[in-house]
Amino acid sequence: MSEPAGNDASMEKIRQESIAAAEEAIRKASSRPDLHLVQAIQALDDTDKFLNVTATRAVEWYGLHFPELFPIVQDNTAMCRLISDLGRRDSYEAEGLQGRGMTDKKVEAVLIAKARSKGGEISDPDLSRVKALASLGLELSGQRDRLNEYVESMMKKVAPNVSQIAGATIGARLMAKVGGLDRLAVLPASTIQILGAEKALFRALRTGSRPPKHGILFQHQEVHMAPKWQRGKIARTLANKIAIAARIDYYRGSEEPSVKAGLMKRIEGIKEKYKEPPKRQERPERSQRRGRFQRRDKPRRR
Amino acid sequence: MSAIRREERGGRTVLLTKSLLRGDRVYNEELVEIEGEEYRTWDPFRSKLAAAILRGLPDDVVRPGDRVLYLGTSTGTTPSHVSDIVGGSGLVVGVELSARVAREFVENVARKRKNVIPFVADARDPTKYSITKVDVVYCDIAQQDQTEIALENCRQLLRDGGTLLLVVKARSIDVLKEPEDVFREEKRKLEVAGFRVAKVVDLAPFDKDHAMILAAS
Ligand SMILES: C[S@@+](CC[C@H](N)C(=O)[O-])C[C@H]1O[C@@H](n2cnc3c(N)ncnc32)[C@H](O)[C@@H]1O
Repeated sequence: MSEPAGNDASMEKIRQESIAAAEEAIRKASSRPDLHLVQAIQALDDTDKFLNVTATRAVEWYGLHFPELFPIVQDNTAMCRLISDLGRRDSYEAEGLQGRGMTDKKVEAVLIAKARSKGGEISDPDLSRVKALASLGLELSGQRDRLNEYVESMMKKVAPNVSQIAGATIGARLMAKVGGLDRLAVLPASTIQILGAEKALFRALRTGSRPPKHGILFQHQEVHMAPKWQRGKIARTLANKIAIAARIDYYRGSEEPSVKAGLMKRIEGIKEKYKEPPKRQERPERSQRRGRFQRRDKPRRR
Repeated sequence: MSAIRREERGGRTVLLTKSLLRGDRVYNEELVEIEGEEYRTWDPFRSKLAAAILRGLPDDVVRPGDRVLYLGTSTGTTPSHVSDIVGGSGLVVGVELSARVAREFVENVARKRKNVIPFVADARDPTKYSITKVDVVYCDIAQQDQTEIALENCRQLLRDGGTLLLVVKARSIDVLKEPEDVFREEKRKLEVAGFRVAKVVDLAPFDKDHAMILAAS
């Protein structure tokens, strides 16, 4: 060791200052609103899962008593409300049901089903457990709606342009995937296009199969509503505009309506130009479709 | 003298470092009392430096009294062992970009250990943490251009004749190439920059497709 080692008082002073500066940087980073958004969208997705599991269980359980109800109502949250408010099927009456905004046809169906139900009796303790589960479902449903509103309104503030282009939830999911608006703002459009499809991408790189055309962006209605052969192109355009939008949001922070207008024009163009599905033989044979996505020479080490 | 100990346990070699702070656990490592001294077990599955030493790096790549620039500390698992090794007369300058993991590094390692100085900074900008020349630059930041980043840090902060330890993760450099080819290319870059590469150790079975390059300036 050439340097005289040993940590003297001046080094300890530098250390204390560095700790203070590091903690300040950490504090600042943790108060960033985009990081709160990232947590909120993940909480929203979690809550959705809990809601689904809880409500499905309540519906299943209640089905022992009134199996004909769900096929008529067909909605988990509405079922939870009926179960928790009305309880036993005896208490389903015309006025009560109409008062909940059910159509006359459905009310009639419910009343017929009630009269002929093949469901069994349910004891008080069983019923109160099912009702409690249904109330939990309702609470989760309310929580999910509030989180949804929160994400929408926060996205308008934090990333107004990304919200405009991608939609608030998809924009927030993209941010969650990469860890914040700052990271999204430095990504190339080609990466944004396939965020959320990493597994498929690595598979393509390894085996020479076709690379994915979209990941999270598939959730965008312009992509999933489009015919199959247009999806990749629309996802590409969308990703281009999201990349621009994220940069404007991160560096400038104000809304820029021209980005959205440009996007819609491009999408219209694609829909017009690729109206017809491509002819089958236009696609090159598998063996010629290699290029950058060439198969590895040697099998990968396990 | 090496600050690392080896113990044989059921046919396996277990690495340990002498606790700088008695009784202090950083993750879920075991504390072991040997000849009146306390040691912390060093898990090669959680720490690439431990893996590299078990796979053939000399025990004394990092020595008591060394000053180490550690790039990519993450939550501080490996840095805490490096802090044990360099001891009270040495120094670890720890750099981490992500505030999320730096929080644990600062709380659990830097605040407690007087030989650790933390920086929440980008390793691409060494001026942010250039407080001293160092004997060792350790780089594990999993970036595509990390070899270039490591070299720039060495140019600015490594003393003449100092050591560079570079973790190469084949996948973060090029997913298409064979790992061995990636290791060879990164090694080549170091040689072109004037480093003598003493060893390239494959970290399997502890880490798949990872290597540690040991080089001297
Ligand atoms: C593989 S982990 C390091 C693990 C650690 N060396 C250990 O063994 O405990 C890589 C770390 O480098 C950090 N990192 C990535 N890019 C960086 C940069 N440009 N500057 C500083 N740190 C960076 C990441 O945030 C991550 O925590």
